[in-house]
Amino acid sequence: MKEITVVKKAIITAICIALCVVLPQAFHAIPNAGTVYLPMHIPVLLCGLICGWPYGLLCGAAGPLLSSLFTGMPPAAYLPPMVIECAVYGCASGFLSQVVHTKNTYADLYISLVGAMLTGRIVAGLARALIFAGGSYSMAAWAGGYFVTALPGIVIQLVLLPSIVFALMKAGLIPARYPGR
Amino acid sequence: MRQLPVGLYQPADSVIHRLSGSAKLLCMLLLLIGVVNTTTLPGYGIWVLLTALLIRLARISPGTALGSAVRLKWFFGVILFMNLCFYQPEDPWVRWWIFSPSYAGLIQGIQVVARVFLLLAMSNVLMVSTAPLVMTDAMERLLSPLRLIGVPAGLIAMILSVAIQFIPTLFEETDNIRKAQTARGARFDSPRLWDKAKAVLPLLVPVFLAAFKRADELSMAMEARGYRGDTQSRKKKYPPFQTADWLALLLCAAVAAAFVMIR
Repeated sequence: MKEITVVKKAIITAICIALCVVLPQAFHAIPNAGTVYLPMHIPVLLCGLICGWPYGLLCGAAGPLLSSLFTGMPPAAYLPPMVIECAVYGCASGFLSQVVHTKNTYADLYISLVGAMLTGRIVAGLARALIFAGGSYSMAAWAGGYFVTALPGIVIQLVLLPSIVFALMKAGLIPARYPGR
Repeated sequence: MRQLPVGLYQPADSVIHRLSGSAKLLCMLLLLIGVVNTTTLPGYGIWVLLTALLIRLARISPGTALGSAVRLKWFFGVILFMNLCFYQPEDPWVRWWIFSPSYAGLIQGIQVVARVFLLLAMSNVLMVSTAPLVMTDAMERLLSPLRLIGVPAGLIAMILSVAIQFIPTLFEETDNIRKAQTARGARFDSPRLWDKAKAVLPLLVPVFLAAFKRADELSMAMEARGYRGDTQSRKKKYPPFQTADWLALLLCAAVAAAFVMIR
């Protein structure tokens, strides 16, 4: 299979942005699902992994914005830090997936994924500490919010995202990372 | 999940519908600046009246315009309660356990709720009164200065437009897959959190596969018709603003400036 074309990358990005609106609604039945299961992060990380950093960045920035416009979630007050966080997830996962080549698809995916998840959380924490909640944001609040509360979401992302990428490769919807291996 | 999101375009013949997309987007930004800079209760009262006027002018039902805000009633309730009870513990009406309700907390809570409510209502009026293609053109026009630094404004506008048009389709797709999974024994309505979470997980892989299949088909169709993506900077002529557009912009700028100045 050939490289993904610009048009296909654009449409995949559009689909991932739309999923940023749809998936949180699917989790809506579960109380507090947004902060625990992090449904909006899944399409953003996936878009970065498949299409590269510019598309991941756009998906991460536009996904929360459109979701806020269409469904009111995240509320306007939480929107700016969430846009920054998701944009960094998309950008970092895309950048790492372009840079990391270990000749093992699973290793590439996990390195990119974990690197993006850490980078996004660090940048989001810094943004909250320095801009959005200057002076009143602590290390404990950061660790609690981004790692402890979100632990189920982190586990879901680590289990689910590589499976989705492999399912898409198997279905021939995206090219294999290392054809013939 | 069982209902489509509010904020999807509804055609009508109204003053707001007739404005150009770019003018509407700019007006929205100006009004947001005004709302964010409002600090008094009478100020929010004026914004409520202005929003009601916008809804009336756009000839959309209040239910459509306020749908997403009404859905957040519990969120608003919690925000109001938290502000009321914890905002200013130094000067409370009464003190009971950890709760210290105060007048300042009540005012702060009302302001936060009013701000979010107004922003949601205004963005709904914009989305409901603007066709997706018009919105795409408007976004492309407003993003066009970014072409100077090599950002493909046309491609970004196309991506956002396709995303907006895919939202209802993906909602339906997800609902169908959800029904299929329910028929196979998934327990979406279980009162137990773990059951709900376990039920949602098998939903995700089929949703992604179906969505990417659609992306594959659409991108092939677009490429077959010669679309290659607007990666090169190219000049596009946009229609000039009409008198009504300038008038709307002036009015919104005046309102926003007034609220910024009396802040």
